[in-house]
Amino acid sequence: MTEILDKCRTIRWRHFMYILLIALIAIGTDGCKSTGKISKKERKAQIETAKKQLQSIVDGSSTLSLEDQDRLISDITNKNYKDPTLNQLLLEASQKLKQSYADQAKANALKVDAARAKLLDLILNKDNKTADQLEGELDAIKSQNLKDPEIGELISRLEKKIRDMRSFNSEANLPVKTQLENAFTTIANSARSGNLTQADASIKSALQFFSSDDAPVLIIISREGSIVDYDKPTTISRYLNFIRDQKANKNMIDAMQLDANGKIKELDLIKK
Amino acid sequence: MRKLLFLIIAVTFSTVTFRASAQDNLSPQRKQAIDSLALEKVRDLSKYISIIGDKETQWSDAQRVIERAVELFMESSEIGVSSLNRQDVNYYKVREYFDRLMQLNYSKVAIDWYKIQYVSDLERQPDGTYVGVITVYQRFQGYDKEKGLVYEDTTKKDITVYVKRKETQIGGRTIGFWDVMLGDIRVKETSK
Repeated sequence: MTEILDKCRTIRWRHFMYILLIALIAIGTDGCKSTGKISKKERKAQIETAKKQLQSIVDGSSTLSLEDQDRLISDITNKNYKDPTLNQLLLEASQKLKQSYADQAKANALKVDAARAKLLDLILNKDNKTADQLEGELDAIKSQNLKDPEIGELISRLEKKIRDMRSFNSEANLPVKTQLENAFTTIANSARSGNLTQADASIKSALQFFSSDDAPVLIIISREGSIVDYDKPTTISRYLNFIRDQKANKNMIDAMQLDANGKIKELDLIKK
Repeated sequence: MRKLLFLIIAVTFSTVTFRASAQDNLSPQRKQAIDSLALEKVRDLSKYISIIGDKETQWSDAQRVIERAVELFMESSEIGVSSLNRQDVNYYKVREYFDRLMQLNYSKVAIDWYKIQYVSDLERQPDGTYVGVITVYQRFQGYDKEKGLVYEDTTKKDITVYVKRKETQIGGRTIGFWDVMLGDIRVKETSK
């Protein structure tokens, strides 16, 4: 023990402190160096992951929604990895995403178009469907959950029609063609019996089927193969008054052309 | 180049000729359709005349019907008016005739057209117009509020009809239609 204490006394403490300080600095520096190596590895891993994610977007195998893909591309862009391959993939993924958005919009537009056409048919009820049948078809359209104001408005109209059909035995459940032909007959009969007020009311009511009072009315006088001969074209307003004046309904409906709102924009009649 | 030009002219000419001949040579069914159409326009006119002459027709209705009736006629057409009380037949422009008809000095007027038929069939003219004559008999009765029936006569009238095929564009479609126009209405005879 005495020997040890002697040796300790021989040590130059100043030198020891220097050595200790250098050692500590060295350890500290090494520690820093070690942290730097982990960050690089992480960065590399992150880049690889990002590449895989972007590649799945580019080749269309990504299971993410378009919104999530958009968010992912933004995140990777913001991290600014400065990796040329990654940057190229970012560019390709952005283009692919843009295309996917366009495809989605197109597909949605097609669905909206199909739903609009279907709803207009159902509102007109050309096939004379029951209220239950109409409701079944309406539910199928509703389940598509299409975000379109016009579709929403048409759905409301069809719902009202179904309600009307169920609430009372009205003319609303008849096809437009039948309703219109009934209106022609009512106008003629009312005028013949001298009830011009009723005839005028029927004219007013019939005009509501049309996109405008000036909707063209064509009357076929002869159809022979591809040759169709018409009477001089008139308008629906004039035609309805013609029925009133002549007190006779001499023609029947041959064809109707509808506008986007399901109103008749052109009417073809044919001699009875 | 000359051959090509000749070919173009030949094809154009043959197309025009084919289309024209398609209209020239109407099948019996198509011809019957335009015959009926012209007769129907005369029947339409008879209803309009009845409405215009009717004292119970509201003024606004009469005016609207006069417009429709005038549209049936060719411009400057005239309508003859006869009376058992005079020898002459007076001719009036169509609109003036209808205005006078509306203002006839009777409390009630009844006008009825019957035996509406062709006296001369529709014949195709060089310009493509079909022209014919339709004859009608008109029974006219004028009433006085107190005396009752004060005048009546029957007049045979000839109406010249012109039918021409025209084309128009409707909704992007070319529509070929037959335009029937009425010409002068001539008084042939008047009797009690």
